[in-house]
Formats: sequence, C-alpha cells, structure tokens
Amino acid sequence: MTDNRAKNEIIKENSNLLRGGIAEGLGNVVTGALEEDDTVLLKFHGSYMQDDRDIRAGRSKKKLEKAYSFMIRLRIPGGLVAAKQWIALDDIATTYANGTLRMTTRETFQYHGIIKSNLRRTMQAINAACLDSLAACGDVNRNVMSTANPYLSPVHKQAYDLAKGLSEHLLPKTGAYHEIWLDGEKVSDTSRAAAPEDEPLYGPHYLPRKFKAVVAVPGDNDVDIFAHCLGYIAIVENGKLVGYNVTVGGGMGMTHGELDTFPRTADVMGFCTPDQAIDVGEKVLTVQRDWGNRNVRKHARLKYTVEANGIEKFRAEVEKRTGFKLGAPRPYKFERTGDLLGWRQSADKKWHLTAFVENGRLKDRPGNTARSAVREIAEAAICEFVVTSNQNLMFVNVTAKNKGKIDAILKAHGMPVEASSGLRRNAMSCVALPTCGLALAEAERYLPALVTHIETLLETAGLRDDDIVIRMTGCPNGCARPYLAEIGFVGRGPGLYNLYLGAAFDGSRLSKMYAQDVGEDKILALLAPIITRYAKERLAGERFGDYTIRAGYVAATTAGNNFHANLNLTG
Amino acid sequence: MVAPLLPKTAPFAPDDISALNNIVTRATREQRHWLAGFLSGFDAAQAGPAAAAAARPKVPLTILYGSESGNCESLALKARKAAQKNGFDAKVFDLADYSVELLAKAQNVIIYVATWGEGEPPQRAIDFYSALMSDTAPRLEKLNFAVLALGDTAYAQFCATGKAVDVRLEALGAQRTALRVDLDLDFAKAAAAWTDNTLKAFTPAEPSKVVHVDFKSSGPELDDDEPEFTAEHPLEAEISGLINLNGSGSSRETWHVELSSSARGFVYQPGDAIGVLPTNDPELAAKLLDAVGLGGNAGLIKTLVTSHDITTLSRPVIAAFAKLTGRTDIAWLAQGESFAQYAADRQLLDLFAEHREKLTSAQLFGLLRPLPGRLYSVASSQRAHEGEAHLVIGAVRWNSHGHDRLGVTSTYFADRRKVGDTARIYVKPNRHFRLPEDQARPIIMIGAGTGIAPYRGFIEDRAETGAVGKSWLFFGERNYTNDFLYQLEWQDHIAAKALSRIDVAFSRDQPEKIYVQHRLWERRDEVLGWINDGAHVYVCGDEKGMAKDVDATLVRILGGNEAGTAKLAELRKAGRYQRDVY
Ligand code: SRM
Ligand SMILES: Cc1cc2nc3c(=O)[nH]c(=O)nc-3n(C[C@H](O)[C@H](O)[C@H](O)COP(=O)(O)OP(=O)(O)OC[C@H]3O[C@@H](n4cnc5c(N)ncnc54)[C@H](O)[C@@H]3O)c2cc1C
Ligand SMILES: Cc1cc2nc3c(=O)[nH]c(=O)nc-3n(C[C@H](O)[C@H](O)[C@H](O)COP(=O)(O)O)c2cc1C
Ligand code: SF4
Repeated sequence: MTDNRAKNEIIKENSNLLRGGIAEGLGNVVTGALEEDDTVLLKFHGSYMQDDRDIRAGRSKKKLEKAYSFMIRLRIPGGLVAAKQWIALDDIATTYANGTLRMTTRETFQYHGIIKSNLRRTMQAINAACLDSLAACGDVNRNVMSTANPYLSPVHKQAYDLAKGLSEHLLPKTGAYHEIWLDGEKVSDTSRAAAPEDEPLYGPHYLPRKFKAVVAVPGDNDVDIFAHCLGYIAIVENGKLVGYNVTVGGGMGMTHGELDTFPRTADVMGFCTPDQAIDVGEKVLTVQRDWGNRNVRKHARLKYTVEANGIEKFRAEVEKRTGFKLGAPRPYKFERTGDLLGWRQSADKKWHLTAFVENGRLKDRPGNTARSAVREIAEAAICEFVVTSNQNLMFVNVTAKNKGKIDAILKAHGMPVEASSGLRRNAMSCVALPTCGLALAEAERYLPALVTHIETLLETAGLRDDDIVIRMTGCPNGCARPYLAEIGFVGRGPGLYNLYLGAAFDGSRLSKMYAQDVGEDKILALLAPIITRYAKERLAGERFGDYTIRAGYVAATTAGNNFHANLNLTG
Repeated sequence: MVAPLLPKTAPFAPDDISALNNIVTRATREQRHWLAGFLSGFDAAQAGPAAAAAARPKVPLTILYGSESGNCESLALKARKAAQKNGFDAKVFDLADYSVELLAKAQNVIIYVATWGEGEPPQRAIDFYSALMSDTAPRLEKLNFAVLALGDTAYAQFCATGKAVDVRLEALGAQRTALRVDLDLDFAKAAAAWTDNTLKAFTPAEPSKVVHVDFKSSGPELDDDEPEFTAEHPLEAEISGLINLNGSGSSRETWHVELSSSARGFVYQPGDAIGVLPTNDPELAAKLLDAVGLGGNAGLIKTLVTSHDITTLSRPVIAAFAKLTGRTDIAWLAQGESFAQYAADRQLLDLFAEHREKLTSAQLFGLLRPLPGRLYSVASSQRAHEGEAHLVIGAVRWNSHGHDRLGVTSTYFADRRKVGDTARIYVKPNRHFRLPEDQARPIIMIGAGTGIAPYRGFIEDRAETGAVGKSWLFFGERNYTNDFLYQLEWQDHIAAKALSRIDVAFSRDQPEKIYVQHRLWERRDEVLGWINDGAHVYVCGDEKGMAKDVDATLVRILGGNEAGTAKLAELRKAGRYQRDVY
C-alpha cells in the first residue's frame, strides 16, 4: 500500500523522538544552516531557521550562503515573567540575538537573528533563567495563554494556574531537548527506534499539526478565545470560579485562493468544573491526535477535524475518553479583545500597569529607549511582568509606593504608556519581513505608518479616541488574528493587501473580505468614506465592525465555513 | 639518488671507489668541472711548469641570502650567474641552510639580506642571524665579505638586518671587501651595479696559489630564471572580476579581484604572489600639489598619480625636505625617536600641509621615490582558471589627523577601478610557500582574513589534479554571517572531498574572542596526529595579528618550550612549516 502521509509525518517518525540530525548539524561549521528535515524537528524545540530576506539577493555573488539565523520562541504560560528572569532575557537579546525582545501574540517572547554557533549557548542561557522553549513551536500543544495578569483577582490566578498546569501537562516527554541543548551530551543511541511509551501522550508522530490552548476571564477576551483549538471561558458565579465553558475548533490560518482552507471561530463544546479542566483538555488533544488529518497538513488543524465531524460527534468522543459528560454551557459576556492601557488597582490594593508596545517589538530607539526602561525597572525589582496576548507589556503586582518609580523611569526613557489613538491602541501586526519566511508583504514594519495615515482620517471624523481593532499580517496564516479585527489587512504581495471588515469588537465574529489586492492609496480611499459615515450614522455604542455590516459594506460571517461566501468586493 | 659515477672496474680499491663516488656524486656541476681541471692541471704540474697554467684554480665565492618575499634570493641567483661568468667558483646558499660554522671556513662571501617585521631578519634567516650575533660566534679573521641590504624607507628600521650583519662581521674580524649599500624598494638597477663592482673587488690581482675546495655542502639546485613579467616589465592584465566579498553590514571590506591575460608568459604557481603597480588617488595628488604651491597643474597631477610614491613619509624624505627648505624644526623630525613618533600615522601630505613651503616641481620630484608595487598572494590555480589570477585584497582605510587615508593599491581596486579596466601586474614566485611535491601529503592551512588567499589556490589546484592528500583549513575572521570568505566554494570543495576539514574562528560572534589559534589548540591532538603523518603546515596572513600567536600555539602543540620550538624549527628546515605573512 502507498504511504499518503504528509512528509512531516515521516520526518517525525524517523526522528527518534525529535532528535534527528540536529546535534550533528550544529557541529557542521561550513554552513550556518541545518538540514531541511532537521529544521522541521527544530521547531518542536522552539526554534525556526530563517534567513534575512532583506539581503537575500546578491549573497551568492559574494560567494556567501543565505544569511541564516535562528528565531527562538520561549514557552511562558500566561506570559508571567519575574524581574530576575527579565534581566536574563534582556541580556540574551544583547549577547546572542538582534538586540530586540519581540513580544508575540501568544504572550511570550521571540528572539531573532541568533546564528547557529550561538544556538546552544542561547538555549542554555534561557534555561539558566528557569525558562525554556520546548514545544513553543511544532506539532504539539503551544504556549498556553490566559487573560492577562494573575494578580488582578483570585479568578485570574486560577485561570493562570490552569494555563500553566495545562502547558506542563501537555509537554512532550522526549529527552531530546535536554540532550541536544543542555547536557550537550552526544545524543543517545539514535539507531534505536523511539518507543511510544517514551512519549505516552503524543506517541512518536506527535500531533498532525500545531495545537493551541487559551484561558479567558470575561469580560476580557484579550486572548481571542475563538481563535484557538482549545479554549476555557472562566465562569464566575457570585465572585467564585465554578468552572469553564470549553471551546474547540478555532483557528485563523488559511491559504489564498484555496476555499477549503478558512479561519474558523471555535464552538462552545460544553461546561466542565475546574478539576476536570486539564483532563478534558488532554482528551481534546488525543482526539485530534487520532482523528486529525495526517495526509494533508493544510487540513490538519483541529478546526477542520471539528468541521468535518461536527461538534456533537467530537464532544461525544471527548466524553467517551474522559468518562464523564460535559455540562451545558453557562452564560458569559465578553467586552473587548484589546488591553486596557494604564494603571489598574486590584482588590488587594496592588497596582498593575499596562503599557503599549507597538507590535510587541521592545527595543531602544532614539527618544524612546523602551528596552532600557524595562530593564531598569526589572533591576529595581519592584514588579513582575506579563506579556499580553496583544503584544503589550504589563508591570504587575506593584505596591502603591513603587508606582511612582515606574512612571518616573518610563518617563525618563521616553516610553509612553498610551498609544497615539484608539486605533493604534488596538493595532497588532505579525512579524513578517525580513525574518518570516512565509511573508508575502510587510506587516510589523508597515502597519505603524498606515495607522498614522488612518489616524488623520479619524481625526477629521472626530474618532481619534474611539477603540477600533485593526490588525495586519504579511500572509494569510493570520499570526496577528487579522480575521478577528474590525479592519484587517492580509498580505498578498509587496505593498498589496486584502482588506477585511466586519469582525466583532468582542472577538466573537470573523470578518469578511471587502477589497482585494489594494495598496496604500486605495486603502485610504476606501476607508475614508466608511469612517466619515460611521462617525455620522453610528447608533449609540455601535462598534465599527458591526456598523460596516449594518451599512452593507460586507455581509456578516456567521461561521468559518461561510467566511468565503457572500462576497461583494469593491474596487 | 644519483648513480655512482666510477664503475667497480675502476683502478681503485673498493673503499677508494666508494669514497670517491661519495664525494663526486655530492659535488655540484662546478665542483666536478673544477676537479677535472684540477686533476689535469695536477698532471700537467707534474709534467712541468709549462702546462701549469692549464689549471687556473677558481676563486671560491659563497653567496648568501636572507629573503622572505624573494628579492634577495633572486639578487643572489643573478650574482651567482655573473660570478661564474667571471670565473669564480660560486655557490649560493639560503641562510636557512647555512651556519656560522660554515662561514668560519669560508673565504669570500657576499650577503644579500632583507629586513622584515619591525626591523627583524627574514623568518628563515633567524637561526643564522642569532648565531652570528651570539657571544659564542666564531672569529672570522679569514673571511672577506660584502653586504647588500634590502629594505623599505617606509619603515623606521630601514635595512636594520643588513646593517647589523655588516657591523657584526667586521667586529668578528672579517675584512670588508666592498662597502654595504642599503636599498629601497626600487633596488633593481642599483643592486645590479653593486654586484658587478663587488665581484670586481673580489677578483684577486693574480690567481691565488692556495687551492681551497669545500665539498662540505652543496647549495640546493635553484632555477634562477626570472619570470617573464617583472616589476620592471609588468603585464597589462584585464580586470575581469571585482567583488566585495563581505556581506552588507560587515565591518570588513575584502575584494575578490580577477585578473586575466592571454599572454603566454603569464604563469604562476599556487603560493606565488602577484605584484601590482597601482596608481595614486588623483585627489590626494592634487592636495599634495596645492600644499607646496603647485596646485591646478593637470600634467603634474598625472605624473604624481602614475609614477611616484606620494603617501609614504620616510626619514630620507623629511630630511631632504628640511634641507631644501632649510628648516631645522623639520630636520629635527627626521631624528630617531621624533621620527617614529611623527611618522607613525602621518603621510607626506601632513608634512607638506603642516609646514607650508613652496617647492618647484623639480624639487618635489626630487623628494619622491618611485611608486612601489604591492604584493598579493595569488588566490587561484591556473589549472582551474586558465589565463587568470585571482587576488583577495583587504581595503585599507583609516582616518588620522583629520584626513581620511586610503591604502593606495587596495583602494585602487576598491574605488578607482572597474571591471574591464586594466592593471599592471607581475609575478613574484615564492618557492617557500608551495604545495608538497607529494600529492598524498596531508596539508594544514591556517589563515585569517585575506590570509585565506593562497589556500583557495591550493585547494583549486588539488581539486584539479585529484590529489589524494587530506587537507584541513583553519580560517578566522570577525563575523560568520558576513565575513566567511568564499563560504560557498568551501562548501563545494568539502562536498567534492577536495577539502577534508574546515574549522572556523569568528572573533566577534560571541562574548569572548575566538581566533584560529584557539581552534588549533582545541584540535591539538588531531593536529599533532596530522603533523606526525607528515602534514605540511602553512600560515598566511597578518604577522602581528595572527602569525605570531599561531606560531606560539604550534610550539605548544609540538611539546612546548625548547622541545616544541626545536620541532617547529625542524619542520621549517624540512620545508614542512611554511609562512606567507605580511
Ligand atoms: C510571532 C508570531 C506573530 C507575532 O507577531 O506575534 C508568529 C510568527 C510566525 N508564525 Fe504564527 N505567529 C504567531 C501567532 C500565530 C497565531 C495567533 C495565535 O496563535 O493566537 C496564528 C493564528 C492562529 C492559528 O494558529 O490558526 C498563527 C498562525 C500561523 C500559521 C498558520 C497555521 C495554520 O493552521 O494555517 C503559520 C504557518 C504554519 O504553521 O504552517 C505560522 C507560522 C509562523 C512563523 C513561525 C513562520 C514560519 O512558519 O516560518 C512566524 C515566525 C515569524 C518570525 O520571523 O518571527 N503561524 N500564528 C506569533 C507567535 C505566537 C507564539 O508566541 O506562539
Ligand atoms: C608576500 C605578501 C603577500 C601579501 N598578500 C596580501 C593579500 O593576499 N591580500 C592583502 O590584502 N594584502 C596582502 N599583502 C599586503 C599588501 O601587499 C599591501 O601591503 C596592502 O594591500 C596595503 O597596500 P595599500 O597600497 O592598499 O596600502 P598602502 O598605501 O601601502 O598603505 C598601507 C600602509 O598604511 C599604513 N596604515 C595602514 N593602516 C593604518 C592605520 N590604521 N593607522 C596608521 N597607519 C596605517 C601602514 O603604514 C601600512 O603599511 C601582502 C604582502 C606581502 C608582502
Ligand atoms: C611586512 C613587512 C615588513 C617589513 N619591514 C621592514 C623593516 O622593518 N625595515 C625595512 O627596511 N624593510 C622592511 N620591509 C621591506 C622589505 O625588506 C623589502 O620588501 C625587501 O625588498 C624584501 O626582500 P625579500 O623579498 O628578499 O624578503 C618589510 C616588508 C614587509 C612586507
Ligand atoms: S502571518 Fe504570515 S507573514 Fe506574518 S508572521 Fe505569520 S507567517 Fe509570517
């Protein structure tokens, strides 16, 4: 019989539990790259091989290979980082990476520009900070997010503990990570095929595709609960956490022009108690492990498994495996997906500051030495840090008397807490060029400028301070969750984007394509009238996304499977 | 091995036959000719005075050279030719193969010696030099000598080695037959003249009666035929390639230069150097002329650009300028310490600009020496690139005293030449930096920066000839991503097994500095293994920056201190430790 499995399945199978030839590859000094198959395995260790796309051209004429370097993504459940750890992370950025800390849309950090010869020592430095990058990428459960800041309330703490517990529980058990990066020991007998018992949960083939889990505490939907494979909505009744609504089958990624790939908002599968939560999560994962599509990676995500089997059948299988029934979903209400910037006080009288970091790129710029500012605050040891799912940074658990210190340091370094407008405050973009190998267009390096242009439109319409969610990605993979933005841009080619409108402000509804392949001028020309009319015609409290539907610019996307339907494109 | 000359049937006792063979086979052609003449003369002498003249015993002459880049060597070989024509029994020795003991036995010597480093003897002459300078050096009363010193007035210690040797020989009681000359880079004519006169000086009024035959040792048979293209008769080659090898954002600027010509005489071997006759930066020439009140004369600019050294600030230039202008404050600058201090990071322009004095064009040209060529280790093999020579050139740029300075030749290529232009070049053979004759020999190649050059030629050559010997490259630079010179080619050579191993040291990629010598040390056991397997070891590149430390590390690897030093000297003598450093 012929083997129809996707190539990655074979690579995993022959990898002796994620070892492959990585260790040997690290020793090969004539190239800064690793073997292609090994780069697939490397992802499970939290690292991607990349090359600087800005300078690709002309390298070979100089008799140099591509400017290879590696991205390392950390695993930081709930995004919580201690002051000591921050200092270590900051040092690593200077010593081995490109001098920046990149806060991601999943509450963790990425380093860029680490060359092969420094990869091992960087991993060791990360480990010395009591952190790791294991399973930060790859066909496994990724970093687990929870609504920002465990110190905000006991419920937030419980949500954080669930995120952390789930992340630990779903970690791969292979010794490869330690062997390759930490001991530096020669990888144990690679001849021996890996036995499933070495990887009890995943087995030697791991998952068909990446798996993402989050925990949300309403009204905040900062984690974009409906964008992920597995989600927990904290249900609070008279101040106490009674359990979670479990969501399954969300995801963003799609491929241009392939209508059988689409973003999907998760279904609410049922209710579980706090003590059942991890078990339910594990079973959701194993169902996906066994039912997920291992032949076509483009259809391998959990969202397609749920779409194909229906939520009932999926729930039934989960219940079969847990041995208990899930309750009926309880009511909940989300207010927003963005972060509330500024200081906030918790019941225990502690203070928490959320500061805006544009696209999560923490670095020193002339006039705004943000990275040094945070470092200085970390050295003062007067707070902990939380990376939010909106790429912002929180200084948490601060005593009233230290509040002023933090303000002073930020001020001294010219690091603003607020964004210049309600639009920018709710703006997110993915990394894209120059490091992302999949980028079709700019994102992180372009969105700020585009926002500035749109700000002038809003200014004239008198909407400068209104919250409008705008997100941009360099390709349809959707790393900044653009299909859940009221204004979404998805890269098609250099300078060209598809424009999406109509998503719900609280993250419950996907957007719909409004215009295809538009450049800056066209974009502004299209948005100008909509913004003006919105300012005039909006109903009390009506959100921009909802308005664009009511005004007929786009039809509402009620579920992933009609994301591509009912288009009526302008331009 | 030469077959014995005398047949067993010769009318001698077997011992005598082997004894004679022993001598005759080792004798050089000249020695054998002399012997023939001598024996016939001997009989004739028995026969009676009439025939005695038939054997006019030749005057023995030992020609010694201490050379790094081959100038003194070729002068010595030319001298031998001339000496033989003039009836001398002349032998040539590299100081590397000579000793003060032999010197003590010699009768007439001419020494051609260069100065390297900061006033040091050439590498291979160091042993001889220190022996000569040591208190235990033998007296040399019987010796007649003459010294020619090569050097470069750009260096503070001009011709230091030649001067020291000259003085030392006299101190040891030897007689100076001809006065020493100290020659700058434009030595060719003056050296030829000096050699002629010196040979005359050594020719005795009447043939000496004492017949001195020294069978002790015979000079290595050197081919002394000049390459077709020399600094005096350069080749006009086309620049067919010109690439900055460093990635964008590199702190380095290293140029890959491809020179081509279909001229038949355009031949070299990997390990040789290519000489380049550059032209100057026209802007600098203009500034210089302005400074001495000759500004705005296009004709003068052109001459300066093409044929004069307008950058080097040398002692003689300062002295001459002081004389012309009669300024004692300038004269003082040419004195010992103050010169070194003043000239350190200054150039001719500074002298003129800081002491505004008008000069006539005649006076100006009187001050300037001819524009010397620069040498570059050839980075290609003609087996791989017919009719081409590739060079790896590091751009020299720095700023001092408010002026941006440009290395003449490196920026001649980097800034003032483009593909399709021509350049005047010549071939500078380097017999002391060659692949092993035996292609099965392992080679260890150590180099940093532009020191990679000859190894590219070596490996290309071995790839073409299908040499079976293992090869191991140690390369060092600053940053892996931007400075890994010829990375793609090394990848291909490794894949094709033309290069067996490579180790790299990039100093600025991590907190601590890592250099080639550190990699060598990490791999010391294997390196030692290779050496014990007969590997030839090569070092190329910057003297101060790298070669010294590599040398020290090799000594450590070979056993440290005396033992290691001795072993390394042994390797050097055996031609298995070769350096091309600058
Ligand atoms: C850094 C980050 C974007 C950011 O600006 O913050 C990011 C960056 C990349 N994502 Fe992502 N993704 C990031 C969140 C997301 C999200 C949002 C989320 O998870 O909440 C999504 C959409 C949700 C989902 O998974 O459906 C997302 C969907 C993808 C996909 C599409 C997956 C799919 O099912 O179609 C890819 C491509 C793939 O996996 O083949 C991808 C691949 C990538 C890669 C690794 C490109 C690659 O595979 O070579 C990007 C690295 C770029 C770089 O140079 O750093 N990334 N990626 C986010 C890191 C999250 C983390 O810390 O783990
Ligand atoms: C046998 C041999 C082989 C060589 N092979 C190579 C090779 O393969 N590749 C290569 O690039 N070079 C090589 N060189 C060196 C080369 O010959 C030249 O010396 C070098 O290129 C500089 O020449 P230039 O005309 O550009 O600079 P020049 O005009 O000669 O200026 C160089 C001089 O400027 C001065 N100078 C330079 N930098 C500074 C500074 N920062 N501060 C103050 N003064 C300074 C020094 O006096 C230096 O000697 C080799 C040399 C030799 C002898
Ligand atoms: C790296 C280097 C250092 C030198 N140092 C001196 C020096 O200190 N004094 C000097 O008079 N000449 C110095 N010279 C010039 C040489 O002596 C000159 O080039 C000479 O012609 C070389 O002769 P050779 O080819 O026989 O070695 C130096 C040349 C180089 C390349
Ligand atoms: S969305 Fe596309 S371009 Fe942007 S980071 Fe993700 S994969 Fe790269």
